[in-house]
Amino acid sequence: MAERAPIARSPISPAPPVTVEYGWEISARRTSADLRIMDCTPLVKILVRASIDGGVARALEVPFGRAACDERGVLVVGSGPGEWLLLAPPGAGTETVRRVEEVRDREIVSILDVTHGRALVRISGEEAVDLLAKVCGIDFSDEVTPDGTAFRSSVAKLTTDVVRDDQDGVRSYLLHCERSFGQYLFDSLHDAGDEFGIEIEGFAGSKALSQPG
Amino acid sequence: MRSATVQTRMPMRLGPQPGEVIDRHRPFTFTWNGERYPAFAGDTIISALAASGERVFSRSFKYHRPRGLLTASFLDPGCVVQVNDEPNVRGSHRRVEPGMIVSAQNAWPSLRFDAKSVNRFLGRFLPPGFYYKTFIKPQRLWPAYEKVLQRFAAGGRTFPDSPHGYYDKRYAHPDIVVAGGGPAGMAAAVAAAEAGARVILVEEEYELGGHLRWGSEDELGALRELRDEVARTPGIEVLTNSVVNGRYDGNWVAILQRNLPHVEERLIKARAKVLVVAPGLIERPYVFRGNDLPGVILSTAARRLINLFAVKPGERAVVLTANADGDAAVADLERAGVEVARVEDARRGGDIIGARGRNGVRMVECGDGSRVECDLLVTATGWTAPTSLLNMAGDRPVYNPTAARFFPSRPSDDVLATGGISGDGSLDELLAHARATGQEAARRALKVGSALRAGVPRRVDVEEPPDMPPIEIPELPVVEHPELFQGRTDGIVDFSEDISSKDIVAAAKEGYDSVELMKRYTTATMGPTQGKLETVNAVAILARATGKTIEETGTTVWRPPYAPITLGALAGRNFEPVRYSPMQPWHERHGANPMVAGAWIRPEHYGDPESEARNVRENVGLIDVTPLGKLDLRGPDVPKLLNLLYVNQWNTLEVGKVRYGVMCAEDGVVLDDGVTGRLGPEHYLMTTTTSGAATVWEWIESWLQTEHPDWQVHVTPVTDAYASINIAGPKSRELLLRVAGDVDLSPEAFPYMNVRTGTVAGVEGCFMWRIGFTGELSYEVHVPAAYGLYVWEKLMDRGADLGVKPFGIQAQRILRLEKGHLIVGQDTDGLTGAYSAGLSWAIKLYKEDFIGKPELSWQSECDNSFQLVGLQPHDGSVVPPEASQIVEGENEIAGRITSSCMSPTLGRSICLGFVAPHLAEPGTSVTVLLPNGERTTARVMEYLAHFDPKGERQRG
Repeated sequence: MAERAPIARSPISPAPPVTVEYGWEISARRTSADLRIMDCTPLVKILVRASIDGGVARALEVPFGRAACDERGVLVVGSGPGEWLLLAPPGAGTETVRRVEEVRDREIVSILDVTHGRALVRISGEEAVDLLAKVCGIDFSDEVTPDGTAFRSSVAKLTTDVVRDDQDGVRSYLLHCERSFGQYLFDSLHDAGDEFGIEIEGFAGSKALSQPG
Repeated sequence: MRSATVQTRMPMRLGPQPGEVIDRHRPFTFTWNGERYPAFAGDTIISALAASGERVFSRSFKYHRPRGLLTASFLDPGCVVQVNDEPNVRGSHRRVEPGMIVSAQNAWPSLRFDAKSVNRFLGRFLPPGFYYKTFIKPQRLWPAYEKVLQRFAAGGRTFPDSPHGYYDKRYAHPDIVVAGGGPAGMAAAVAAAEAGARVILVEEEYELGGHLRWGSEDELGALRELRDEVARTPGIEVLTNSVVNGRYDGNWVAILQRNLPHVEERLIKARAKVLVVAPGLIERPYVFRGNDLPGVILSTAARRLINLFAVKPGERAVVLTANADGDAAVADLERAGVEVARVEDARRGGDIIGARGRNGVRMVECGDGSRVECDLLVTATGWTAPTSLLNMAGDRPVYNPTAARFFPSRPSDDVLATGGISGDGSLDELLAHARATGQEAARRALKVGSALRAGVPRRVDVEEPPDMPPIEIPELPVVEHPELFQGRTDGIVDFSEDISSKDIVAAAKEGYDSVELMKRYTTATMGPTQGKLETVNAVAILARATGKTIEETGTTVWRPPYAPITLGALAGRNFEPVRYSPMQPWHERHGANPMVAGAWIRPEHYGDPESEARNVRENVGLIDVTPLGKLDLRGPDVPKLLNLLYVNQWNTLEVGKVRYGVMCAEDGVVLDDGVTGRLGPEHYLMTTTTSGAATVWEWIESWLQTEHPDWQVHVTPVTDAYASINIAGPKSRELLLRVAGDVDLSPEAFPYMNVRTGTVAGVEGCFMWRIGFTGELSYEVHVPAAYGLYVWEKLMDRGADLGVKPFGIQAQRILRLEKGHLIVGQDTDGLTGAYSAGLSWAIKLYKEDFIGKPELSWQSECDNSFQLVGLQPHDGSVVPPEASQIVEGENEIAGRITSSCMSPTLGRSICLGFVAPHLAEPGTSVTVLLPNGERTTARVMEYLAHFDPKGERQRG
């Protein structure tokens, strides 16, 4: 009997019904709720470290504190000074790494696939602001944190990277943390969103990342 | 029909009132002290009881005097009740609900016959400071005193088994917080929002409106207009049944929000650019004999009862009035059918000498000596300006004798005041002042906002509002008011604490003549009302007692909280991040006993740790070591970094090799240890202790960024990126062979202290380390974390015939102690140098430099530090508990046990411990003092390892 392909699992228990797609065990749940939470851990996550003014920085074009979707649908997040997190659809890891490799010059560049090291959650809906206001001290108004803002802060007392990544004009946030805290972060956000009627939506590659604009 | 039935049971309920807040179409019943009472939706607990003719709602704090309604508001000190299992509920504020079970507090056996009311006859023996003076000596009797005093302590009952409610917090970043939703607050909020500011408008009551709610037709009309304006103006978030509880530095404003649909109470942490304080004025009581009798109420209480709740406050009234509100109360009373038997007008010399009655007013002695029989005495003698929030911003209120109240003195840039707290005047004048204040607040807030946004790097461009000139805020007039604080007789000043005017005078005579000392000595103003009813009277009485003016006496400093707040609201949600390994679901399914290790939840054991340890020695075991710290190091200068961090040598480490390293701080104290493997020419993977992972990362970054920013090194924490599984035991190679696809595991190709990259159970990109903590042949496999559970299950499945079993932390600790491996933090402490820890073999002082070298160079020449040694008790059945002292002579400390256990492999107890240098020679017998006082002896061993000291098993 042929050996089955290994199954990848998120740190966040999938809400039933559960299926396997992209090699990951994921929730197949769908919802039409206004406020939704989705475990996006299966997205490819590439951490790039390079100088702030080298070839990689110029090619990625996204400064620290901002996030933007490139022409191939990769969300480039300026996650720190000289540090970028690239979020890509499942299976696009090798291609994403290759593209960064191509633009490096003589500088020291680190390219790490941290897909397995980070938990990633998306909250979508206009009331996402009210939810986040219960767990994070940052001002989520449009003036201070417009679409495309990226920052690191305490969310439910956990160091978390937050990216505002609106989808089709609807407010949406990606939150990621160290993988081992994933279930805790998810549970904390779900609890905070309970009063706003938050519902779980299973991972869908097409909804996990914004389409290139 | 049902409505009519209920109505007949509410003899004091009036017909419909223009501004009433009750819904007569929604009657229901609730329970008060075991009896059912009717109510309407919108009633407070007390208004419903008052409608049924009840007048006594509690017993007073100290003397257990009967207390009734005084303010008919949140502050009402005599209306604090128990609701279901919730103590200390403000009965004049909390809306009554169907089926609610309400009972009186602070009374035994019943409210009507309170045995503790004997205290009132002992009043002369309970002066201020009674507790301090009486119970301070002899100290040994305090436990007995405490038991007695607890029985007399005021307050409701708590029930430990009650489920705790849902409390949480919320952060907010408005431009402006307006504290107070009366007419001035509403007008200020609207004006600010119209000027472009985002506003949070906070009102303590359930509806906006302040005093307009119980006002005339004209005032009700103005209220409707203001409410409409608030509703239709975008940018205003209205929070009712909420209170601004404190103002802190940087305009950090704490707002308590009560009784939300999903939340019991919520603490909002608002970072306001400008705070507008508009709480209105609070009517203060008058001090005279009998002023705390049920039936003695404030004019605003009478008007609230009549106009909001349609409750007739009494049948026959005497009114003492000194202002227009008192006059309006007279009109309301007459309209409600109350016989107003006498109006004492203080503006024309009228006064009240005292009130008499047992459980309520029966007769009032007026200023001219005449006596009037009545069941209601209404007073309107002046106002308190609640300047608390302004105090918290640094303001010191100043007394104005014309208005007979305190006023704010010091304007600030980020806190403004409006409404009655700032002055008097007509409604139009107040609204004009409030609107100008709101506009000015918006101007200041938007200016601050622009400055803040300018400091945010690379933000998107937004159009900044033009810089506007300051808005001129008109002065409010100050209306003359008689200075009425205390009449010709003594009475209660602080209704919460049962402090009388006599108590304040006595305190002054005892030398507590400053207002702050008087406050602390008598506890006046320190009860739940926090001075809002009693401060001005207390200050005035103290001033008279000391011969000073009120201005000279000054007022107390008001601090947060403005209103009582529950511990639940302060605590909020319990956020306690926890970390789980990818294999956690398997551990849970297989009965692992969870152990908290920092934020990690780890399997302590699976039921029998000694059996788990034996299986590792005999077969093969798996342990989840995911929490082990892992740092990815890249760059040409990594060897320089390793040489700096570790005390040993790193220049010669080849690709595929692993080396153990010891990290010390500058003082030579052991900071961390672990192995580092070289995965590629410029690529290394460092492991750290579980607890040291974050510290080591920060330590490395600190050295790189401050001392060697020129080094070409990238350090990235990857602890969570890999699930780590240690496969340990003589059959570990055989097990790994079954799942490792592309790596030659033979001892020759993959010897001890080597690392390989390859495929495990079909998962690519795994690291396999031939290292071990257990002393057995073992492999540590680092698997991309999402596949951790998959690989673990594969190993368990494929190794079933090899006897593979999981083992937990407890078994691992047994095994490592048998092997004599130290644990940094357990076998070392914050003072343990590397030489003491038996690590001299690793320290290479010939290296050019490394962290801790100067100190370690000095330590190498000294020979006086304790040494870590292996110890075996002579009686192998005795396991000295960890931290047992090693002693010499008359209990002179000569060391301590750091680790100990019963070894299942050796069948005897084994230990690691520190001993004084002269005791460190192998074979030396030392004395161990056990916690129970007994002594045992132990032998110093030749090696730290008790088992396989040559390491033949792990190198096999």
